[in-house]
Amino acid sequence: MKFKDYYETLGVPRGATQDEVKHAYRKLARKYHPDVSKDPDAEARFKELGEAYAVLKDPEKRAAYDQMGSQWKTGQDFQPPPGWDAGFEFSGGDFGAAGLGGDHSDFFEALFGRQARGGQRAQMHAQGQDHHAKVLIDLADAYHGARRSVSLRMPMLDAQGRVTMQDRTLDVSIPKGVRAGQHLRLAGQGGPGLGEGPAGDLYLEIAFNPHAQFRADGRDVYLDLPLAPWEAALGASVAAPTPEGPVQLTIPPGSVAGRQLRLKGRGIPGSPPGDLYVVLTIALPPADSESARDAYRTKAKAVDFKPRAQGKG
Amino acid sequence: MTILNQGKVTLIHGSVVEEDVQLTLRELCQACSAEQELVLVWVVEGVLEPVGESPPDWRFSGDSLRRARLALRLSRDLEINPSGVALALDLLDEIAVLRARLQRLGVG
Repeated sequence: MKFKDYYETLGVPRGATQDEVKHAYRKLARKYHPDVSKDPDAEARFKELGEAYAVLKDPEKRAAYDQMGSQWKTGQDFQPPPGWDAGFEFSGGDFGAAGLGGDHSDFFEALFGRQARGGQRAQMHAQGQDHHAKVLIDLADAYHGARRSVSLRMPMLDAQGRVTMQDRTLDVSIPKGVRAGQHLRLAGQGGPGLGEGPAGDLYLEIAFNPHAQFRADGRDVYLDLPLAPWEAALGASVAAPTPEGPVQLTIPPGSVAGRQLRLKGRGIPGSPPGDLYVVLTIALPPADSESARDAYRTKAKAVDFKPRAQGKG
Repeated sequence: MTILNQGKVTLIHGSVVEEDVQLTLRELCQACSAEQELVLVWVVEGVLEPVGESPPDWRFSGDSLRRARLALRLSRDLEINPSGVALALDLLDEIAVLRARLQRLGVG
């Protein structure tokens, strides 16, 4: 297990006041909140911040953490000394505010995990918790519908009332026409009910695996299609890939880069279906042979072309 | 531990919440583990816009689930009050529209 320096995570000195801890957390939390930040590491950073703050904002936990000493550095191998928390009494609560705990590091779990557990003695019959998970599918799955195995790790209460992480694999039917950001509700696949209460539901948020060629925006799908300059200038009939297979596209003469050709109804299926937009780009042939350079020279003489002329005035 | 009965795997069909589902107040609270009082405040602030006269008749569109969960995360993680949450959601919506426009222009 690796030691975690929670003060370093929040960027505050060990002697920081509770207000300073809170201030540092708030500022960083706004910056790295996964719903707000586009930083690819945002989610991981945000989790670390939350864990650090959960300890440092709580005077009892902070005191217990502090008595481990300041000689530890993040990433060092670490085992909590036996009886390290003797004499500290944690009030508990406040954990698993997210509904499902189990999101903290091993380090945190080893130190503070146990008292976050149990104690949740709800009424005898209650509906199980609704669970949420994200599932990545291919764009093609949205076009055709698919059957996907979805692996989930879910916190479950065992017979002793402790939270354990369990792996589940579900075989889920992905309906045709589903879009990124939508949710699938799987009735009765959430947390088990208490007593005779029914199980909760499982909500799967759909996201697409990134695709080399296609990008989806709602029901519409975009494709960049490179053309040779002469194809764009003279018009051409070219093969273009679509998620449903290649199509033959007519490029109108005088096409410029950035021009969009709309293939109506060829986006994600539905009522109405989305459209497929082919965004034209123009690839410049390399001047890497004498004949290619000659062709450019010939064109330079033949065509009165002032690419910067229209930028003036 | 895997709850997977080899050889006899049942295919689970779900419904697309945004298309096929309308949620009652109780269902929405259950689906995002939110207190009913909080959802009522969000309705007042315009974060959620149910149809129907009074809370027992309210029906929330499927997209309300995403909005409610987002609102819950923002208010919990950043300790933002309901009117701040409403403002943040409006701004996030606007950013999403602008990002989509950028993508359509091939810039995004």
